[in-house]
Amino acid sequence: MEIYLPIAEMSVNVWLMAGLGVIVGFLSGLFGVGGGFLMAPVLVALGIPPSIAVASQAGHVLATSTSSVLSYGREASVDYRMGGVMAGGGIAGAIAGVELFRLLRLLGQADLMVAILYLLLLGTIGGMMLNESLRALLRARDGLPAERPKVKRPGWLYALPYKMRFPVSGLYISVIPPIAIGFVVGLLAALMGVGGGFLIVPAMIYLLRMKASAVVGTSLFQIVITTLVTMILQAVRNHTVDAVLAFILLIGGVIGGQLGIRAATRFRAEQMRVVLAIIILMAGLQMGFTLFVPPEDPFILAPTNG
Amino acid sequence: MVAASLPPDITAPAPPVPYIETQQAAGVSADLLSTDLTQNRIEVSSSFQGAKVILYGAVFQPEDQPSDVVVIIRGPQASMRLIRKVKAGAVWLNSRPVVFEGAPGYYMAASSQPLDRITDFSHRRLLGLGLEYIAMDTSRENKVVTRYGVKDVVVNGIEDDYLDWRRAVIRLKSKAGLYNDNPLGVRFVDKNLFRAEVTLPSEAPIGDYTAEVWLFRDGQPVGYSEKKLTVEKVGFERFVYTVAHRHAWLYGLACVFMSMGMGALASRLFRRG
Repeated sequence: MEIYLPIAEMSVNVWLMAGLGVIVGFLSGLFGVGGGFLMAPVLVALGIPPSIAVASQAGHVLATSTSSVLSYGREASVDYRMGGVMAGGGIAGAIAGVELFRLLRLLGQADLMVAILYLLLLGTIGGMMLNESLRALLRARDGLPAERPKVKRPGWLYALPYKMRFPVSGLYISVIPPIAIGFVVGLLAALMGVGGGFLIVPAMIYLLRMKASAVVGTSLFQIVITTLVTMILQAVRNHTVDAVLAFILLIGGVIGGQLGIRAATRFRAEQMRVVLAIIILMAGLQMGFTLFVPPEDPFILAPTNG
Repeated sequence: MVAASLPPDITAPAPPVPYIETQQAAGVSADLLSTDLTQNRIEVSSSFQGAKVILYGAVFQPEDQPSDVVVIIRGPQASMRLIRKVKAGAVWLNSRPVVFEGAPGYYMAASSQPLDRITDFSHRRLLGLGLEYIAMDTSRENKVVTRYGVKDVVVNGIEDDYLDWRRAVIRLKSKAGLYNDNPLGVRFVDKNLFRAEVTLPSEAPIGDYTAEVWLFRDGQPVGYSEKKLTVEKVGFERFVYTVAHRHAWLYGLACVFMSMGMGALASRLFRRG
């Protein structure tokens, strides 16, 4: 069944798009990530203009994150104060990101920047995760105890001013690092169309050293706030949100997401981390690959609207 | 900030028709041809997957002279931005975009035989018959030339391979099914009755189209007829597009509300089930 998208001004197959939503949603639920980094490259490969893909899939990220944050909220594992502080930085980052995206599009460099960011960020994070999780798996096979994460927090975190208490996270630190992390994630969210969970979660664990139980719920809460702002800004500034596309993707996404959450209980955490690391690495390499392959046609038509 | 909230029209401005003067000058008659389209309004609804319109017409010729028909369909004009991939070291980077103005968003040239056999170069160029003669210019580049002088190396570089850029526009548009030359697209179904098929892909731009029909005899244009065709969004598609452009804040909020609402609903439904 084909449907015409009013903003993208082209017709797409509903079942293909909904199926994509289900698959990405399933992976999101399974691994506890937003899945935006997987969806954008596929949408672009299916012929949706990158700017519309990035802005419209925010709906999918928003829906899956809302649905997850509600489940985590019930278990009282969301640090709303920490999430709120990070979201403050996130909103500023999103505003900057939407403007930067607009400028890059005018200069014809948006798709290039997205490819570079995917390669650098996903490549690095996927590689690190793969390395770490493989070592954990090997240690488990050899019967060694799991490596204890270093508990010592970086000293400079305590030297900064404007300290605040975050009881749920078990922290008493300056608000500057969370705001800075929020800003960077908000910026990337707007540029890459991702929620940014793959960045916030490691930052919360390794940089802020938050209590592990609060990490996932809080990062989801911050993603909801940042994505919400990004989506509104994309709609207002760039007119690139296609409500019909967003709706099809998110319907598939929420169904897949719930299936993924159920499936997640069947696997061991370490094995899932290896698979997630490989997926992230592949997504990054696949997008980055386009930088090195000679183009089929050296000329490309850039979008003109906006 | 303010610019974004200005509502662009749903229909683009109609392309100018400079052919009227040429008609007069060349002594072209409007009485030799009678044409019509099977549809003069195409509605783009959610089930739109492109459309096929048939142009048919009759030639009135008192004497039995061999004549040729050329049909040109032009879509609404839109400026285009073209980027060239440039190799820098191991990676491919994007060049500065070059803006092409005045080219139609859709173009089809159908004729009863190859255009170069119908008429000569100057007529084809003057009347814009065939992909090679589509009018488009890079006036924004030219502005740079006058501002900085002809010695400007960068601008000269673009001027030099202007033809490459121009061919690229046509190639990319053809690939998307938006530009095409069909040298046998006009078929005479009867002695003086002809028809041509116009295929619009789902990516065809929204706006006003013109169908120009030329009658050639011995390489000279002798008859001309013009018909209008409108492609417009209707119903839900039109509603979404209008709201997205005229009430962008409301639209953004509605999208956010829809997304979060669906997420909340899913989480509730699945918890119970």
